[in-house]
Amino acid sequence: MSLASDALGYLEPLYAVALRLTRNRADAEDLVQDTYVKALRSAHQFRPGTNLKAWLFTILHNTWRNRVRDDTRRQVTVDVDGDRVDEAAGQDAAGAPETPERILLRASLDADLQAALDELPEAFRTAVWLRDVEELSYADIAAVVGVPIGTVMSRISRGRKMLFQRLSASQVKMVS
Amino acid sequence: MSDCRSVTDRLAAYADAKLPPAEREEVERHLAACPPCRNEASLESGGRTVIRARAGQFRAEPLPPGLRSRCEALAASAQAGGAARRPWLSRLVPAAVAAMVVILVGGAVFFVAAQRSDVLFAAQLTADHTVCFRGHGPADAPELDAAQVEAQLAREFGWSLQVPPSRAQDGVHLIHARRCLSPEGLVPHLLYRVNGEDVSLYVLEGVTRRDADVITFGHRSRIWTRGDTTFVLVSSASAGSHLDAAAEYLMQEAR
Repeated sequence: MSLASDALGYLEPLYAVALRLTRNRADAEDLVQDTYVKALRSAHQFRPGTNLKAWLFTILHNTWRNRVRDDTRRQVTVDVDGDRVDEAAGQDAAGAPETPERILLRASLDADLQAALDELPEAFRTAVWLRDVEELSYADIAAVVGVPIGTVMSRISRGRKMLFQRLSASQVKMVS
Repeated sequence: MSDCRSVTDRLAAYADAKLPPAEREEVERHLAACPPCRNEASLESGGRTVIRARAGQFRAEPLPPGLRSRCEALAASAQAGGAARRPWLSRLVPAAVAAMVVILVGGAVFFVAAQRSDVLFAAQLTADHTVCFRGHGPADAPELDAAQVEAQLAREFGWSLQVPPSRAQDGVHLIHARRCLSPEGLVPHLLYRVNGEDVSLYVLEGVTRRDADVITFGHRSRIWTRGDTTFVLVSSASAGSHLDAAAEYLMQEAR
């Protein structure tokens, strides 16, 4: 089995994470294609036995980050690690506190969850996705996004919290 | 007695049950005594529960049609030694690949630059042109800066093509730059809007063909070679002569 064929097995998770990063299907498709070509070209750099999925995600994330940096329409300037962005989100969630069980019973959950995820700052969205959907280790996530493990864990915590607050808030809006 | 900061730093690991027993107890003692931290922990746990419950759903996002087959073809070509040496075209295209002309239902296309027939070559690019322009309606097509696109393509892929910039007096607007995937690798695809018409410019380095001008699927493909690069301009066949000035401009500027 070669890396080229092994990597084909990860197209779906690659596309899913690309979709969360770009929030646009055409861009996500381009991003996955670029990632696959680059993976083939740097196949010799992959150490067999290490986590191929994480390696592919690293290429994808780097490619995306370079693209966003150059795109003047979408500047990434917010330093979410220092910023108190989550406090603002918390203030929106007024009213009766939600429980996860009630949220999970909601008919519109998948749409609400997707919207809530897409509204998170990218750093949090990526950290939560890689941890809770792809179940990468903290160390692998740190390698994929290129930040220290402590920062990864902080982003995961704050991302999960913001996600829950947004989901609670969207229910409040629907009721009133 | 731990302070709040040291506890919130470990909440992710706590929620994931990744803390060693002594640390877990320490965190739990603090949470029992500290309502704000308890609130943080509960919000985090709630978010974690919800997203993990639906994780399978999100991971199962279907791939766009054709993406897998294009990657498979690229893998096959890489294994045959083609793509490894030249990023996006080897002159020694294996016979089996050269003979492969597949236009897939749903608009997914991969094309082979060594295809001898001008009509088949143009047809594949036309199908790709139609697919790529979907989702680029006139309302949401802001203009791109050609120099930035050039720099990005050079930096990421080592391509040194010249991207014809937008030109207001001819109604030419650069709206997107894609990398279309063929079995041999990535091909730059520049998308323009010219007086409301969709126009594509493909740049195939390392390919030489005789010049041609063909109509396929109601689209006109102008094919020409300069040095060791073939260019193809695809536009609607019914567009008529008002595209000619723009076409001439693009053909001159592309290199």
